[in-house]
Amino acid sequence: MNPKAASKKRKAVTRDVEEEAGVFSGDELSKGNLDGALSDNSKDLSDSEDDESDSEVELVDDFSDSEDGEEELDSDEIPSDTEEVKPTAGEPNFRIVKDANGNDRYLWDEIHPDDNSELSEVDENANTIGDIPLKFYDEYPHIGYDINGKKIMRPAKGEALDALLDSIEIPKGWTGLTDPKTGKPLNLSQEELELLRKVQMNEVPSEGYDPYEPLVEWFSSEKEIMPLSAAPEPKRRFVPSKHEQKRVMKLVKAIREGRILPYKAPEEREDKEEELINYDLWADEVERPDHVMHIPAPKLPPPGYEESYHPPPEYLPDSKERKAWEQTDPEDREKDFLPNDFGSLRKVPGYDNFVQEKFERCLDLYLAPRVRRSKLNIDPESLLPKLPSPEELKPFPTACATVFRGHKGRVRSVNVDPTGIWLATGGDDGTVRVWELLTGRQLWSAKLSDDEAVNTVRWRPGKDAVVLAATAGDDIFLAVPPHRWGFAASRPAPSASEDGKKNAPPTWIRPEAALVDAGVCVVIPLRYVPKTISWHRRGDYFVTVCSGASTPASVAISIHTVSKHLTQFPFRRRLKGGGPPPDRPLPPLETHPLLVKILQPGARWISSFDIHPTSSSASGGDNIIVGSYDRRLLWHDLDLSQRPYKTLRYHRKAIRAVKFHPSGRYPLFADASDDGSLQIFHGSVTGDMLSNATIVPLKVLKGHKITGELGVLDIDWHPREAWAVSAGADGTCRLWM
Amino acid sequence: MAKIKKKGTSGAAKNYITRTQAVRKLQISLPDFRRLCIFKGIYPREPRNKKKASKTSTPNTTFYYTKDIQYLLHEPLLNKFRDQKSLAKKIARSLGRGEVSDASRLEKNNAPRLTLDHVIKERYPTFIDALRDLDDALSLLFLFATLPSTDHVPSKTVALCQRLCHEFQHYLIMTNSLRRSFLSIKGIYYQATIQGQDIMWLVPYRFVQRVNGDVDYRIMATFVEFYTTLLGFVNFRLDENGAELAAFTLEGRSVGDVPKALEASKAQSNGNSNKEVSKELQAKVDKVIKKAGLDQSTDEEMVETTDEPTDAIDHFEPAAPEADSLPQPAMSGNEAGALFAPFVFYISREAPKAPLEFILRSFGCKRVGWASVLGDGAFTHDETDPRITHQIVDRPQLPQESLPAIPAADEKAVQKVQPGARIPGRTYVQPQWVWDCINEGKLLRADLYAPGATLPPHLSPWVKATRGAYDPRATLADQEDEDEAEIAAEASDSDEEMEDEPAADDKPAAAEESEEESVDGGMDVAGTDDDESEEESEEDEDFGGFDEEAASESEDDDEAARTQHQKELEAEAAGLPFTASAAADEAAKKKSSKSKKVAAKKRSEDEELERQKMMMSRKKRKLLEKMMYSNKKTADESAKLRSKRRKLEKGEKGEKN
Repeated sequence: MNPKAASKKRKAVTRDVEEEAGVFSGDELSKGNLDGALSDNSKDLSDSEDDESDSEVELVDDFSDSEDGEEELDSDEIPSDTEEVKPTAGEPNFRIVKDANGNDRYLWDEIHPDDNSELSEVDENANTIGDIPLKFYDEYPHIGYDINGKKIMRPAKGEALDALLDSIEIPKGWTGLTDPKTGKPLNLSQEELELLRKVQMNEVPSEGYDPYEPLVEWFSSEKEIMPLSAAPEPKRRFVPSKHEQKRVMKLVKAIREGRILPYKAPEEREDKEEELINYDLWADEVERPDHVMHIPAPKLPPPGYEESYHPPPEYLPDSKERKAWEQTDPEDREKDFLPNDFGSLRKVPGYDNFVQEKFERCLDLYLAPRVRRSKLNIDPESLLPKLPSPEELKPFPTACATVFRGHKGRVRSVNVDPTGIWLATGGDDGTVRVWELLTGRQLWSAKLSDDEAVNTVRWRPGKDAVVLAATAGDDIFLAVPPHRWGFAASRPAPSASEDGKKNAPPTWIRPEAALVDAGVCVVIPLRYVPKTISWHRRGDYFVTVCSGASTPASVAISIHTVSKHLTQFPFRRRLKGGGPPPDRPLPPLETHPLLVKILQPGARWISSFDIHPTSSSASGGDNIIVGSYDRRLLWHDLDLSQRPYKTLRYHRKAIRAVKFHPSGRYPLFADASDDGSLQIFHGSVTGDMLSNATIVPLKVLKGHKITGELGVLDIDWHPREAWAVSAGADGTCRLWM
Repeated sequence: MAKIKKKGTSGAAKNYITRTQAVRKLQISLPDFRRLCIFKGIYPREPRNKKKASKTSTPNTTFYYTKDIQYLLHEPLLNKFRDQKSLAKKIARSLGRGEVSDASRLEKNNAPRLTLDHVIKERYPTFIDALRDLDDALSLLFLFATLPSTDHVPSKTVALCQRLCHEFQHYLIMTNSLRRSFLSIKGIYYQATIQGQDIMWLVPYRFVQRVNGDVDYRIMATFVEFYTTLLGFVNFRLDENGAELAAFTLEGRSVGDVPKALEASKAQSNGNSNKEVSKELQAKVDKVIKKAGLDQSTDEEMVETTDEPTDAIDHFEPAAPEADSLPQPAMSGNEAGALFAPFVFYISREAPKAPLEFILRSFGCKRVGWASVLGDGAFTHDETDPRITHQIVDRPQLPQESLPAIPAADEKAVQKVQPGARIPGRTYVQPQWVWDCINEGKLLRADLYAPGATLPPHLSPWVKATRGAYDPRATLADQEDEDEAEIAAEASDSDEEMEDEPAADDKPAAAEESEEESVDGGMDVAGTDDDESEEESEEDEDFGGFDEEAASESEDDDEAARTQHQKELEAEAAGLPFTASAAADEAAKKKSSKSKKVAAKKRSEDEELERQKMMMSRKKRKLLEKMMYSNKKTADESAKLRSKRRKLEKGEKGEKN
């Protein structure tokens, strides 16, 4: 045993790396290698404590690791293998002692290395192989050559080396620290080490404390003669405890009541087979109304013909359908299977997707949101409006019967006389013409003005006296066409008395002789251009409206009384359009100076409007049609709303004129448009307040040519027949029947 | 001023709860929530306005009804789930420590047992409610009864499903409640009527089920767990009632072979690998039989007496196809029980025994025999038994010489009939005969279903003939639109002959118009000009007025007839024979004019429709179009089927010629 190796193992070195292994080579592990590292530190201790160290080593080993006992043996042996026998031969440099088992134990002498030989020896041991990788020597026992050409043997590895290093002991009290005060290595004395050990072992560090003192039995089962305390025995020692009794009684009660049962080992569970359902769940069933929000899961639909294993042949897909089915995504397929004909039951294979489909059904049942959808099961036919049959709608004008040619330039206005035999027209050439309606023969013509166009012509209603009112320029002309075509034997009243009445602001004057000869009786100079004339039903009044922008509001509407040769300006405010309802004694605007109703047609430039002949009578509500330059034809039901009941947009260009059929027999109305066409509609109004007017488009009449962006300028209905007359910008009028 | 309402405290925001919120509120895991939902029958809802219901902007949110979730909070199953969870933790812990016996003890003794009785009572307050919801249960359980047992599907579950299904089938047999059945591609559909409720279910054919990867057996197992409990209770109730009911029905009829039949049915269930058909059920049935008296005397006296006045409802057939048909109740159990009662069936080896036996028995046949390879319990295993009246075979007809000769004579086993040979005195039918008979409710001609014969198509008994839909039972002529066939024939003719004159059929209005005039032969028809102008206007305008097409058409016809007559007269005057070719020409012309007439009529109808549509508001028009779309879809579908059939029939005719 190395006497210097006193106490501590050098733990830090035990797991050393291999590069040092080259230095501590196996056989060459000479005294210098081993001890040179240790000698410096331990030299001072080594000599003096040679003999004592044995016991001390034992002691230290005891409280180091438990394995030390074994390692001690190893550590003893390894140096014996490796160290050369250096001292002189003959005299053995070891002692043989008996160890605990009675075996021989060799104790080797101390080796004293030479201080000066260190450097050269290190050089000698250096490996000289250079940069050659060490793995070249893998299969050899050596790893290279030293400076002398001797093999450097492979160092001991692993356990042997560990054991060796473990065996190397460091001097007593070695800490590896440096004392800062002295600058020397800090060593601890034996007492200090002992103190540290005690602290480490959680023992009382003070000197002289014996943890294993013999126990003095102060309180023992042996009765002493003298009591320890002189206090008298307390009463509770003799009286039974009430509290305890209470608790006991509680338990007794619980046991009696069966709340506490004696322990029973848990029984083995009976098998599931035995838990058969053995009672009627619905023995006392009570009907419960379904929750309002509950939607039961929809049942799967029953299979159809195409799902049969042997369907009718028409259900089998042809190759195109089959291909289409195969090419669609499984999610997009309408059916999840292709119909197939197996012909006989034995040929039917298993269905591949059975489990999958059932699984999807399960998913649907618990995962799919349920929505109650009301499915409309109505015959679509019932949604369609009830329309009168085409036969019911007849007659209506379908074809052009007569063309009236004669006007040069546009025909601005047409009007059929109340008897329905003659037609009056006025045009841009300043003439008013009267035609025979059926034949188209011109009967009468009068040139009212040279440069101004005739804007309006209107017959006086009633059959007793024929008066034709026409406007040309600023003037209103009242004419009685000559009687040679068999009518109006005497001059009308107005023309007879026209001289005496000159008091009203627009005085009624006689026209010039040529016109008088032609039949024009009176001229009313209005100073502003009147655009419309509306006669009262009885034929005594008519209203003119001057809608020009420069017209003052107060004179825009004037009422003319034929019998008095009088002109009045009833309104101060400006109004557009005009026309009394057909069977009212006075126009509504006159009887009620306030506005009756405001309509919101939604059209921007209203060209004309007309009031349904049955309006304000018992049989129907107030219905108005409005035509506008923005191509719309609006049907207003005044009882319904201020907004249009129907907005019809069938024209491509502006609508110039709209007109109801004046008699109640034919529920027709027509409009004339700049696209050269007329459109005839059926518009029947019932007295029933619940049903709305029925409007049916009937006919498009074409014939007028478009000249200068203008098509049909005016339209009028025959008073009794379903005939319409239109005035075109091409200088013709047409009768449609 | 009214108090300002806080957002999200009323209305949809309060009524609906998302799934995540629900799971959080119940404090369970998502799989547990799923199970709970399956058991309790709680399903997601679709709020009328999703935006109002959701507090987040996540688009795909599942909403539940808040009250549903609220009411789940007090569910006893919820505690069971929690117990299960804690037990699972304990078991995992002891397994982690390596204490396997401890874990197994825990699992054995402490596993909370889910009882779903209360859930079933809650979901189905009355027995009828339970019956109403039995469709899915039966379909799934019949599937599971045929599945092989795997680790997902324990054999115990499979056995339970098999037992329940057999019990149910047994009840149906006893009460003759089965009404209809259908052989489909997917499997066999059955429909039974129990206490007025129609129950339909699907049983797969006996093959190993292919399982795709994306089937979650845990979900199905949860459903199966619920459905087994449900069907268990239903069976119990049915058996209780059924015993009495069976007694009643059996008394009314002959009970000749009842014990045998019962044995057989028992054997049938035994044969299907389930050894314990419920014993008490058997006992009950025995009791019933005792009650019924067991009189063996009247054996085969069940002869239908048709002319007797009965209480039954007479069957009303509509005399004309146009009339509405009023619904009438289906056949009763007595009728069903009498269908196959007088016969003895023998099921050949290749025919599917289980469904056939089930159907035959539930339609009153008490004596079913089958080959011994198909299992025990048959009335007879002897194919030569002279009592057999019908034999169900499903094998192709082979020439006699190709069949193997009868094996040695000493082999005196049951199988001494040469396969394919006929034994005189019995009817041989294919299995489909049985299905078609029960669906029709009467015995059909057996010769149509003879072995080797091409079977008539097997039709689903559930499809009701509706107006406009294609009905394969009716003849083609009955359901065609007028002139459809002719047009089709013409079209096909022109297709077949030559593609010379496609204009006649393909091009509508304009071309026809010009042709029409040529037909007129330059005759001066009044209003031709008008027509032309009208046509123009139609082309130009958005709406066309009336055209007097129809009127002019009829006039044209008259004209044509007149001209023909005129020509005949002229020919007569000239002394020439009026050539047949000319007549044929005329006929051809007439024909084409007829098709034209149809087209014109259709066109005028379309115009009328357009005109009507124009007068509707946009909303209504949309609705109308939607409805017309769906109607059109069915109409197209049926038209397609009709055309296919027409083609097929034509092909057949061609073959005959």
